[in-house]
Amino acid sequence: MQTRFIGKPMPRKEGREKVTGRARYIDDITMPGMLFGATVRSPVPRGRIKEIRFDPQIPWDEFTIVTAQDVPGSNYVALIVNDQPYLADRLVNHAEEPVLLLAHTDKYLLEEARRAVRLEIEPLPPVFTLDESDEKKEIIWGEDNVFKSFLVEKGNVDDVWAGADFIVEGEYRTGAQEQLYIETNGVIAVANPEEGVTVWGSMQCPYYVHKALIKLFNLPEDKIRVVQTETGGGFGGKEEYPSMIAGHAALLAWKSGKPVKIIYDRAEDMAATTKRHPSRTRHRTAVTRDGRLLGMEIDFVVDGGAYATLSAVVLSRGTIHAAGPYNCPNVRIRSRAVATNVPPHGAFRGFGAPQSIFALERHMNKVARAVGLSPEEFRRRNFIREGETTATSQVIREAVDMQRLVERAFELSDYRDKQERFARENESARVKRGVGFASFMHGAGFTGSGEKYLQSIVGAEATPEGRVRILAANTEIGQGTNTIFAQIAAEALGLDFEQIEVAQPDTANVPNSGPTVASRTTMIVGKLVESAALSLRQTLQNSKLLADSYSPEDFSRACRDYLAKYGQLKSFSQYKQPAEIDWDDEKYRGDAYGAFAWAVYVAEVSVDTLTFEARVEDFVAVQEVGRVINPTMAAGQIEGGVAQGIGYTLFENVVWRGGRMINNQMTNYIIPTTADIPPIRVHFEEMPYEHGPGGAKGIGELPMDGAAPAILNAIENATGLELNQIPLMPEQLMEAFRGEHA
Amino acid sequence: MNRFEWTDAATVHEAISQLNGRAVVKAGGVDLLDRLKEGLEAPQRLVNIRNIRGLDRIEEGKDGLRIGPLVTLARLSEDKLVLERYTALAQAAGRAATPQIRNMATAGGNLLQRPRCWYFRQEEFHCRRKGGERCFALDGENQYHAIFDNQLCAIVHPSALAVPLMAFGARVVLTGSKGAREVELERFFVTPEQDIMRENIIAPDELITEIKVPRLQPATRSFYIKQGEKESFDWPVADVCAVLQTKGNVCLKASIVLGAAAPVPWRASKAEASLAGKVINEQSAREAARLSMEGATPLAQNRYKLAVFEAIVRRAILRQASS
Ligand SMILES: Cc1cc2nc3c(=O)[nH]c(=O)nc-3n(C[C@H](O)[C@H](O)[C@H](O)COP(=O)(O)OP(=O)(O)OC[C@H]3O[C@@H](n4cnc5c(N)ncnc54)[C@H](O)[C@@H]3O)c2cc1C
Repeated sequence: MQTRFIGKPMPRKEGREKVTGRARYIDDITMPGMLFGATVRSPVPRGRIKEIRFDPQIPWDEFTIVTAQDVPGSNYVALIVNDQPYLADRLVNHAEEPVLLLAHTDKYLLEEARRAVRLEIEPLPPVFTLDESDEKKEIIWGEDNVFKSFLVEKGNVDDVWAGADFIVEGEYRTGAQEQLYIETNGVIAVANPEEGVTVWGSMQCPYYVHKALIKLFNLPEDKIRVVQTETGGGFGGKEEYPSMIAGHAALLAWKSGKPVKIIYDRAEDMAATTKRHPSRTRHRTAVTRDGRLLGMEIDFVVDGGAYATLSAVVLSRGTIHAAGPYNCPNVRIRSRAVATNVPPHGAFRGFGAPQSIFALERHMNKVARAVGLSPEEFRRRNFIREGETTATSQVIREAVDMQRLVERAFELSDYRDKQERFARENESARVKRGVGFASFMHGAGFTGSGEKYLQSIVGAEATPEGRVRILAANTEIGQGTNTIFAQIAAEALGLDFEQIEVAQPDTANVPNSGPTVASRTTMIVGKLVESAALSLRQTLQNSKLLADSYSPEDFSRACRDYLAKYGQLKSFSQYKQPAEIDWDDEKYRGDAYGAFAWAVYVAEVSVDTLTFEARVEDFVAVQEVGRVINPTMAAGQIEGGVAQGIGYTLFENVVWRGGRMINNQMTNYIIPTTADIPPIRVHFEEMPYEHGPGGAKGIGELPMDGAAPAILNAIENATGLELNQIPLMPEQLMEAFRGEHA
Repeated sequence: MNRFEWTDAATVHEAISQLNGRAVVKAGGVDLLDRLKEGLEAPQRLVNIRNIRGLDRIEEGKDGLRIGPLVTLARLSEDKLVLERYTALAQAAGRAATPQIRNMATAGGNLLQRPRCWYFRQEEFHCRRKGGERCFALDGENQYHAIFDNQLCAIVHPSALAVPLMAFGARVVLTGSKGAREVELERFFVTPEQDIMRENIIAPDELITEIKVPRLQPATRSFYIKQGEKESFDWPVADVCAVLQTKGNVCLKASIVLGAAAPVPWRASKAEASLAGKVINEQSAREAARLSMEGATPLAQNRYKLAVFEAIVRRAILRQASS
């Protein structure tokens, strides 16, 4: 198909504003009479609030002070389960839990005041790890500490063990990870009974915040307005948390009658806001002598932290991805998200899948070894093909060819040669080298019936200048939403790229096109952008203002004429699930995702046996993601995701003490720099997906899945060490070496 | 961070006269601003010395090298003279922090930056170094802490420049209201036993006005290695400078200093002694590396540092044999 914009490296729509410093982020904005807000947080992981004391040194009468008693509506952050209060009332369930809010015009005095509030909390026994929570010695949430559990059944796994030639078991663990977007969380709120509540801020999902504020203030929908300002990164970290900080600023604004700004500093943002769920996965696998999978039993647990937040959905995605791109007739996956007394874990790129895929792809190597096959040969015998079914019994209807991706990745990385050469050289080398890979898939869009319930709507509007403006709630968070939408609309309408504008996400002006999460923006919302744009054109043509064939100038003129005649021109398009998608929410069975992206990632590592440093020396990422809309941005997504994955594997260690992250500074929470990242060679296989705009599928999360298992597989190849926990720090490598060679 | 008053000093004298009450010196401001933001200090006045003329020179005289305290790490790392003669100093400056920071950070400020211990850097932990009762690292997170002299307070000295400077036998000139004094770097830094609330002997009204590095003996070469968790943006987990005077491949005299090993830059005396008069080869280097760790008392989480130090001490010694 000949295209003008799809598949072209169009420059970023808002790029010029960003690099020239003209883009305005929330902290660049100020309002007359504005106060600054601060949050007093619990230092204790679990306990009963006995007393709040105010140091008499501070002129408290100058401050606006908000506690749970000041909440006009209901004191819960509305999301899935109503368990998380905006402000703790009698009980606190995690350290850093917000208890009280302060506002003042003087930032410096505010800071002193925050330190001068003393919380007297009578401690209760806390639970800090998922193992402790799973053992249920102490019940801290509901009846059994379980936020949510799933059971996926395919075939009958109980019958396979007796006939298996090999049964292989393993346990795999992953740690927490901080999103570490460049811009910390921040909002400004204006709120009063007359005008209602308006919040501007850094966020991914304006309508989540909208929904939460309706409940918090008990106001009608049209009295709440949420506007996304330029946002410096999200990675999931601004999916649910903005509802909390927006609520706080709005409560202070409501009580003081003045605009209130809250901006977290880095330390507060790292300690108090969400991180990736730590996990534990246990595998038990039955295989035949010739390396065919007979049965897989998987137990997957994630640590949700103190409140339910999005854990149920993170768990769902992790569960569905736990058995990977393999054809196995009998599968049972049991999973649960459990409560601990740490700040709630939340959305983070990959959303549960990186955890369960890490486990699976380490385990597949182990099974291969037990059978006596190479990791690639074992996988080759089990890769899923068109017509076969996933763990949820979803029939694969696309011509997927994982083996081709493997071959491509091996070719690009020189895998076979390197493996042989390294094996030879490692005999005498102090620095051991190795290669490893992971093969995986990632579902795009909301799981199961999620998209059906969302009913996303996108609008297209003609502007007085004769351009087309896209109306969607999906946010530009650095990943390229604005550019991709403009490419899709310009292509569909045959207009110039510059003729498309993308409206600022503002709940007063744009319809609810759903959240900016789950790799759905391009594939699902992009498709709606296309149909809204086409329906706008249809209106112009029906009104006879536009001929069947037209130039971009004709189109502009038609828009202007239409506006002159009728005042406004807007058309909308709503999501309709493709008829063949069939999902059973009760049994957790059926078509979990409209489409999957498929990938094979190869890592080359070196391990210094004297300093115990492991370095990733080279990385090849091969994926099939449907049609690529913008090759520069798509490659950027993959490179960024791989870099984040390398951090997840070898650098990023959240250190907990008493339920608090104690390395909540960028000088001691170590993320890789560009100097630590190897060349990342990105390759796309393109197979257009019929329901995606221009044939595209989602890719945002995919690259987060593959790095960790590929790297540990490579370390195993280099050293022979079987390491099944990330982050893997040099200390652990040293211990493993010493244990092995003692 | 608190509000403060800002003074721009044009001369050393002017700066010193402003240093009373709760005033502090600000050079590049890299460390100082962090401390203010972390809520560790609340000075009433910042005395900016960045604009004092004449404090940013690198000069070679009869008795060696003189480095002004305002010379940035970036300049030290690129200066031809330093690169050629005092290679390890240029290497240490060039491997520290990040390019942006090296453009701001000064040599004086680098020597006087305060420790990176997590507990020290967190306002909420009132540790011994801040006048409290406990060292939280001793039974807490101590993977980055000292492996020598770590009984009272387990910080490591964070300055990378101090490591080669001490190995070269440098001295600092301190100028205060009562005049100037010159101190060997080795006596400039203080251990927790000497004074647990400070890392050096500078008085509140004193400035470092010069760093003096003595002229090197002929056939002396130096090498610096930093081992970090990442390649940039980070302090060392372990670093070492070896200065060797050689004749052929025989070592006449060795000076070996370890960074991130103890509350002060740590001289590995036994390793130095073991090399004197020996041929530099794998075996002597390995022996010196082993001896450099003798007497170490690692904490629960930092035993790995011994392996790392042994590896880099060995490599630093062997690098000179091969260069
Ligand atoms: C991410 C990061 C990584 C880093 N990595 C490294 C590293 O690898 N190695 C390393 O060595 N350092 C590292 N640093 C620290 C950095 O090099 C120091 O903070 C910097 O050198 C301090 O110099 P400055 O001029 O900014 O000092 P300032 O912050 O201005 O001052 C530091 C202290 O010295 C005092 N002071 C400064 N100059 C004088 C003077 N002439 N007389 C008297 N008192 C003075 C100040 O009062 C203050 O107490 C790193 C810093 C960061 C942020």
